[in-house]
Amino acid sequence: MASTRDIRRRIKSVKNTRQITKAMELVAASKMKKAQQAALAGRAYTQLMAKMLARLGPRIAEVKHPFLDQREIKTRGILLITTDKGLCGPLNANLFKHVVEVRSPAKFFSIGRKGSQFLARTKRDLVAEFTVSDRLAFAEVKPVVELMVKAYLEGQIDTIEVIYPRFKNTLVQEPTVRPVLPLTSLGEFIANAQREAGDVTTTEDNRDMVFEPSAQEVLEALIPFYVNRHIYQLVVSARASEHSARMVAMKTAKDNATKLLGDLTLEYNKARQAAITAEILEIAAAQFASV
Amino acid sequence: MALTLEIVTPEARVYSDTIDTVVIPTVQGEIGILAGHIPLLTQVEYGELRVTKGGVETRLAVGKGFAQVEGDVVSVLAEHAITESKIDEAVVEEALKRAEQTLRFTKPEDFEYERLQNMVNFIGAQLALKRRGR
Repeated sequence: MASTRDIRRRIKSVKNTRQITKAMELVAASKMKKAQQAALAGRAYTQLMAKMLARLGPRIAEVKHPFLDQREIKTRGILLITTDKGLCGPLNANLFKHVVEVRSPAKFFSIGRKGSQFLARTKRDLVAEFTVSDRLAFAEVKPVVELMVKAYLEGQIDTIEVIYPRFKNTLVQEPTVRPVLPLTSLGEFIANAQREAGDVTTTEDNRDMVFEPSAQEVLEALIPFYVNRHIYQLVVSARASEHSARMVAMKTAKDNATKLLGDLTLEYNKARQAAITAEILEIAAAQFASV
Repeated sequence: MALTLEIVTPEARVYSDTIDTVVIPTVQGEIGILAGHIPLLTQVEYGELRVTKGGVETRLAVGKGFAQVEGDVVSVLAEHAITESKIDEAVVEEALKRAEQTLRFTKPEDFEYERLQNMVNFIGAQLALKRRGR
């Protein structure tokens, strides 16, 4: 049996670990709340945009746009959204599984250090890596999207896809591959936008809509806007996932530490008692011998 | 019959109220909207957006975006929007200086360029609005 001193030392170290994981859990919880609020704040905007696109829907047939063209896919462009820091459970590892499944030639873009490291380690074609701050601003995501869109328009990549942990709820984050470009059919795309934005109510007004300057021009401006926005929303969702995953991982770690602490305390008490018993026996034996 | 105006930016819903009239800066010049306007979808330019409610005029600086009129509901979707009273001239001027400084070292083909240009435009719109208010 381990000596009482060894056990005491272990108890101390487990206690320290528990304290750290507890603090990290609390930090992650508050960050998660903020990330979720950020996702909600952008909701009205996305909703309104979906509504506008829906109104443009019937006029689409007249419009040509490179984002709507279906090209032969030679090189996929994939944006991988991961975390900068570890200790968030299997979140990143699950995303990497999807990356490994990509067999066709692809160029990668990355947000988050963990993803960049993985892509570099596995020697994949990493075009650019970005890091975004914790308080995510729209302007931070824009360069990423602009770079990808530029590569797409120049024909370096033929799709824009995003691999990210979709935030379902605090306990469940789903690694998802989301195709963004090309928008194969706009009808589908609008339906998607509407579904994402939630309930889109159209007001009762059946007079013909006037587009200024023209439907084509409005759509040309609106689509890149929407793509920007869409990817931003995905990053926000990934952020919420990160903090929830970290919170859950830290909670599990804390619970494990507590359990371990209980076991160790029990073992310590047993050892202590055994030592005392042994000591009494020794004294008693010595007394018997001296009589 | 009153109009309902909502101005939404990526960060928040900046304005939401029933109003009498609104003047929106668009790519084709300013348009005034009253109740009963025909459905319209247009592009918003940098500039000032004027809202009148009960004889009181409120002015906002808005960034690029879109505006939709449908059934007496005016929805403005803009990258930025700020009400006049919230504009702090000193802060804005400082920001303008910084943005212009950076802009000078940025080439038009850089992806940062457009963003900075947008920023300068929006700041310009804010300043114009603030100075005219005096």
